[in-house]
Amino acid sequence: MRERFKKWWEQFIRIMASMKTAITLLIVLGVVSALGTFIPQGQPQTFYFHAYGHLTGSLITLLSLNQLYQTWWFQLITGILSLSILICGYQRLRHVNNLKSAGSLLLHIAVVVTVIGSVWSLGYAKSFYLEIPVGEKVALAEHGLRDGRLGLKDFKVDYYPDFQPRQYASQLSLKGYKGKNYEERIAVNHPLKANSLKIYQSSWGWVMNLSQLTPDSAKTIQIKDKNTYRLQAGMDVRAVFIPDYAEESGNIESQSPLPNRPHVWLTLLQDGKIIDMTVLAPGEEAQLGLFTLRFDNYSYFSGLQVKEDPGVYLVFAGFILLILGILARYWQLFFPPKEV
Amino acid sequence: MNQTLHILTSAGLYITLFAYFIAMVFYWFQLITKNKLNGQLATAFTVIGWVGNTIILVARTILAHRLPLANGYEFILTFCWGTVLIYLFIQLHYRLKELGAFVMPIPFLLLSFVVITMGSNEMIVQAIPPALKSNWLTLHVLTAIFSYGAFAVSFGLAVLYLFKAHSGTSSVIKAFVSRVPDIDILDELSYKIILFAFSFLTLVIITGAIWAEYAWGTYWSWDPKETWSLITWIIYAVYLHARLMHDWKGKRAAWLAIIGFAAVLFTFFGVNYFLPGLHSYA
Repeated sequence: MRERFKKWWEQFIRIMASMKTAITLLIVLGVVSALGTFIPQGQPQTFYFHAYGHLTGSLITLLSLNQLYQTWWFQLITGILSLSILICGYQRLRHVNNLKSAGSLLLHIAVVVTVIGSVWSLGYAKSFYLEIPVGEKVALAEHGLRDGRLGLKDFKVDYYPDFQPRQYASQLSLKGYKGKNYEERIAVNHPLKANSLKIYQSSWGWVMNLSQLTPDSAKTIQIKDKNTYRLQAGMDVRAVFIPDYAEESGNIESQSPLPNRPHVWLTLLQDGKIIDMTVLAPGEEAQLGLFTLRFDNYSYFSGLQVKEDPGVYLVFAGFILLILGILARYWQLFFPPKEV
Repeated sequence: MNQTLHILTSAGLYITLFAYFIAMVFYWFQLITKNKLNGQLATAFTVIGWVGNTIILVARTILAHRLPLANGYEFILTFCWGTVLIYLFIQLHYRLKELGAFVMPIPFLLLSFVVITMGSNEMIVQAIPPALKSNWLTLHVLTAIFSYGAFAVSFGLAVLYLFKAHSGTSSVIKAFVSRVPDIDILDELSYKIILFAFSFLTLVIITGAIWAEYAWGTYWSWDPKETWSLITWIIYAVYLHARLMHDWKGKRAAWLAIIGFAAVLFTFFGVNYFLPGLHSYA
């Protein structure tokens, strides 16, 4: 029995250590990856039935080709390839006697480190998107993180002369995340870093505060630009923010994205059909159908991508090893020794 | 000043395209006639085209106050620039003028593609969105120029290799490539260039991943362009390992180099035109 296992084990190692196995797996990985680029990924199941017909559609969803890169068998191929590279590398360890062979070994280890890091990311990274109005706070525990309160103190957009956004930035305060506080201005390409947590500037928009007035009360309504709010069954109000209102043109439009003459354009919808509309400046109120609405104020909201990913550091370590490996392996190619 | 630079970039495009075309034709003449003058004229026009190409890129850098690496139009111009630069280096270093007949069609066709398909929208200097403001992006594109340029030259070498290897079957081909160095030299040179290009492709993928991590918070999202760059990397990794272990040299290596360059082109063009994705800038 033991003898048999030993034989089997030796056979297994021989196959795994063979370059043929590694090359075959590489080719398989390449072909499967290519397949995933021709089938749109991550769409709902019904999409595939519509796009490919019933038979192909069910085949795609059955084999999870719609989430190909996350399937167990794709991970398995990657895993076996990594193992094969490791065993190959281990067997070549004793032949390492110069910079070139050391570089080659380092390159192979680097690839495996990068793969392990990405698997770690896949299993443990948490990522979600948040929209926070200026002056408000969100508890990160509500989104599955352990602790931390994230507040938006200020938000700014910088424009080119043609009003294309040049950059946008949030002044953030992160309190009590793993016992520490952070105050930082973030912008696109400049995220906040706190341990393995990163917060990215992702988008922005306008948010408006309205009041629904009745003879004896005032109810506050917060509504984002181009969104609707249900006033009562079948009755919705839609709000569009007009930052730079131009009244002389006849149409309701904004001359620029800058809040020079801020107005809100309110539409009352009954079962989705427009029954009334009005345009209000801050402080103004109007009768809209049976409702009295007042436009109190407006502000920016900031769209933030929040990510906690412990794997990314291992991936970056893999990248550094890759670069070092390339330099060592190909040093002579890039800087050939002078012939004597 | 700006007006002059604008004229320089648009006139420069046609001058460069024309010079690359003439160079290509003279390289062909030289292949057929073996006339030394044709070879010299071909080299001269290649240099003229490359200088024109450089002038466009410099003018655009001044106009945009940034390196011209932000959209498809700018990348094709820099890709051609890198390809011709690497080609000229190889030609002068290895005295391999015949290679020009197979490499120069690449920048010529790419620039023709720009002139035919791209409107003024792509060609005017655009303000770049915040996501593209990153030093990692600059590194990403700079490394891509050298990687893709070298792959283009290795493609030319592979085609030249196959021509030379088939010269026994046809007296016409034999006459064309009689002065081309021995096929083993072509094979070895192609291998070296692919090593260089593969190293840079690794850097392209790394810098792209780091940029994506800073801009969007995902270093890898299996977007078709990313995936195809990985597939390209895999093809050349197979090339290198098969060569090392199974002695895949010569014809098979040449065909793999051609397939690899097809993957490079598909990563750059095919993905944008045939597949949906995030990589909408270039």
